Amino acid sequence: MTLPQPLLKLEQASRRRAGRPAVQGLSLALERGQVLGLLGVNGAGKSTTLSMIAGALAPDGGRILLDGVDLAEHPALVRRLVGWLPERAPLWQELTVGEHLDAHGRLRGLNGAALKQARTRMVERLELGPLERRLAGVLSQGQRQRLGLACALLHQPALLVLDEPGNALDPVQVAALRGLIREQAAAGTAVILSTHVLAEVTAVCDRVAILHDGTLRHEGNLAGDDHAALERQFFAIATARAAA
Amino acid sequence: MSALAVTRLELRRLFVRPLAWVLGALTLAWLAWNFTLMLGSFLAAQIRLAALPEGPGYTDLVAVPLLAKLAELAFLVVPLLSMSALAGERREGRLALLLGMGLKPSHIVLGKYAALLVWLLAWLALVLAMPLALAHATAIDWGKLAAAALGMALLLASLAALGLACSAVASHPAIAAAVALVLTLALMWLNLGAQMAGVDDGAINWLAMSSHLQPLLRGLVASPDVVWFVLLATVCLALAIRRVAAERERG
Repeated sequence: MTLPQPLLKLEQASRRRAGRPAVQGLSLALERGQVLGLLGVNGAGKSTTLSMIAGALAPDGGRILLDGVDLAEHPALVRRLVGWLPERAPLWQELTVGEHLDAHGRLRGLNGAALKQARTRMVERLELGPLERRLAGVLSQGQRQRLGLACALLHQPALLVLDEPGNALDPVQVAALRGLIREQAAAGTAVILSTHVLAEVTAVCDRVAILHDGTLRHEGNLAGDDHAALERQFFAIATARAAA
Repeated sequence: MSALAVTRLELRRLFVRPLAWVLGALTLAWLAWNFTLMLGSFLAAQIRLAALPEGPGYTDLVAVPLLAKLAELAFLVVPLLSMSALAGERREGRLALLLGMGLKPSHIVLGKYAALLVWLLAWLALVLAMPLALAHATAIDWGKLAAAALGMALLLASLAALGLACSAVASHPAIAAAVALVLTLALMWLNLGAQMAGVDDGAINWLAMSSHLQPLLRGLVASPDVVWFVLLATVCLALAIRRVAAERERG
């Protein structure tokens, strides 16, 4: 009997940035339907890790396997399998919300009826209807994040990569975001959520990985409401260097 | 298909941004004014010119000089249009996003190049429409005009590729525009010193853009001139693709 292979597998992935190691020897695996919270202080290597997983950055060491296939050999794999929302949703200021959805759909290979259907689904799900004709340049931060999420989810990716998606969202929007993440996971999408808000992780994640100085310091399952335990763990790791 | 999606996106952006409209409107107004001046001069001298056995006609005195004026404007317009194509995308984090969509660097660069080319060829077509509007009332040397139009199309295509290469390398759109302008002027007038010294052949003359543009504007289509422009565009596009591909490695 063969075990099902994880959707995402990082094998000793490393990456240097600005002359220093940003991520070192990172190994992780993620199954379909799982939500992994990636925790760490600023500069811990979270965004670099997510950029590598999204295919925007090549690791200088190790491998990243998507559905068992090495991303370095098949970088186009992310087009179908991965949806990525970078830290500050990068938008074309001069295009409207609707034009963004169309452009992202076409860039992901959607056309005609499939594109129209996907666009309608995202507009309804993320309540973008009233904003459809509005220019991205005049959207509020929360609206930008919603549009970024819609663009990342448009092609129904198997893996959703979210880099601090809760930034600048109000409590109502945060609750809606959590609902969306749970919904995606229930539909079988694997989600990686980078954040430094511990409550975000305990609210929606099944597993947590704590990065510090580019290395994985802790990885484990989250069982129920163990917020206090996670907080202790996180602060122990994040302040260890200062204490030393 | 993804290159086509990039072209559509880039064309839409060109269409909605004021820069392209302002550049298009100002340059067309300037060229239309020049066209009327040249046409006036031609009409004034028409009777005198008709007496000459091999005298210059409407094509030599109005149509081709108008295209030469377009070339001068293109040296400034193309760098301004192409400056943010890649440098702007990189600054705003959108180049990483495009790479994160699994798009090949060649598709990103060629898609953007095709969009620029569409705009520039539409610009050329609008300028050509001015002398062609009088085609029914005057004798046009079609061969000469076609050669000059081909020369202009090749010039615009190679300048667009050069602008994209500069945009791929530069960290800021303004730097990309400045570098593209300087390189264009350097390429154009590379052989100025040699010409002033009376040197009419040699490598420096072959390298200079003017050596290949002038014959085309005079109506002479020679394959070495066409190849020179194609070569320049190919080298610049290859450089731009290489630089975008390195983005994944450099970060």
